[in-house]
Amino acid sequence: MSKAVKPLSIIVVAILVAVGAAVYLSRQPDQVTETSAAPVLNTKGGGHFRGPETAAITLVEFGDYQCPSCGAYHPVVKELLNRYPQQVRLAFHHYPLISVHPTAMAAALAVEAAGEQGRYWEMHDLVFEHQQEWSANPNPESQFLALASRIGLNANAFMQATRSPHLQDRILQDVVRAREANIDAVPTFFINGERIHVPLSINAFVDVIEARLHK
Amino acid sequence: MRTRAVLIALLAFIGMVDALFLSIKRNAGPIPCHITRGCNDVLTSRYSALAGIPISWFGLVFYVTVFSLAVFTIFETGQPAGNRLKWVFYVSGLALIISALLVGIQAFTMNAFCEYCLLSAALVLTIFLLSPHSSRRTHPR
Repeated sequence: MSKAVKPLSIIVVAILVAVGAAVYLSRQPDQVTETSAAPVLNTKGGGHFRGPETAAITLVEFGDYQCPSCGAYHPVVKELLNRYPQQVRLAFHHYPLISVHPTAMAAALAVEAAGEQGRYWEMHDLVFEHQQEWSANPNPESQFLALASRIGLNANAFMQATRSPHLQDRILQDVVRAREANIDAVPTFFINGERIHVPLSINAFVDVIEARLHK
Repeated sequence: MRTRAVLIALLAFIGMVDALFLSIKRNAGPIPCHITRGCNDVLTSRYSALAGIPISWFGLVFYVTVFSLAVFTIFETGQPAGNRLKWVFYVSGLALIISALLVGIQAFTMNAFCEYCLLSAALVLTIFLLSPHSSRRTHPR
């Protein structure tokens, strides 16, 4: 029995040290990085815009409504737009990674369908905010309909629009743009055409925006 | 033999940190890639969990088991040393098959690689390669 005390103590201590190391590493701030990996970003004709046309900075986001990271970034980007209402404009492009997020396309269609009734951004916010509720459901259409009802959309028109080939095409055009830009993960951000990785923190975004504004 | 057990314990410890890091990060927003591309895609994909349990948790159980077997081997006296390392061989053999499947999914199904998962696969492979040697030395013919 006493022979086992020493190895058991070492095992317990090692597990505690490993937990400490993992927690420490997971809290390390991610770095802002700029990459030239992407060729010229072609977003002409695509995307949805939030913010004034005259904004000095255009933040392009390629996102997927079912991607947990995109959901985590959503409140940060929204806060950024609140802090810089005149200086920053968001251009959101769809990049539903359907091989890993099977209902991402349905979500993108739901948001586009809301856009047909002039409520794109309200639905965009709601779909991200309720991501955890609908993303576990293989058929979340009824949940999207419930969200659409909350913002007062016409249910019939909304459901019809979700089946519109025209809206599917719009999303697929964004996917083509994403592939042309060599985007392989979501969310991917560009600031004034320059691909950038910004850590999940409002302060990191503010630093990047301030640096661009004072360039 | 003891040296190999120490090496296995060290590798298993690194694996524990890796698996714990992934378990924490999986529920805490984006997971940055520094070497490969697509960490988020891999770690938030439908292949990243089995029956609702994240794969990294299975990895953690594996590394704690291997670490424990290796530490007990290091302190073993009296009985044929290294008997416990035989279990490392079997456990890491099974883990190696699973790791190969997961790396295959990254390469051929997702076309995205997660560096933390590749590190884990490399650790499993090295532990597996170390374990039979340990057993062979324990029972020389």
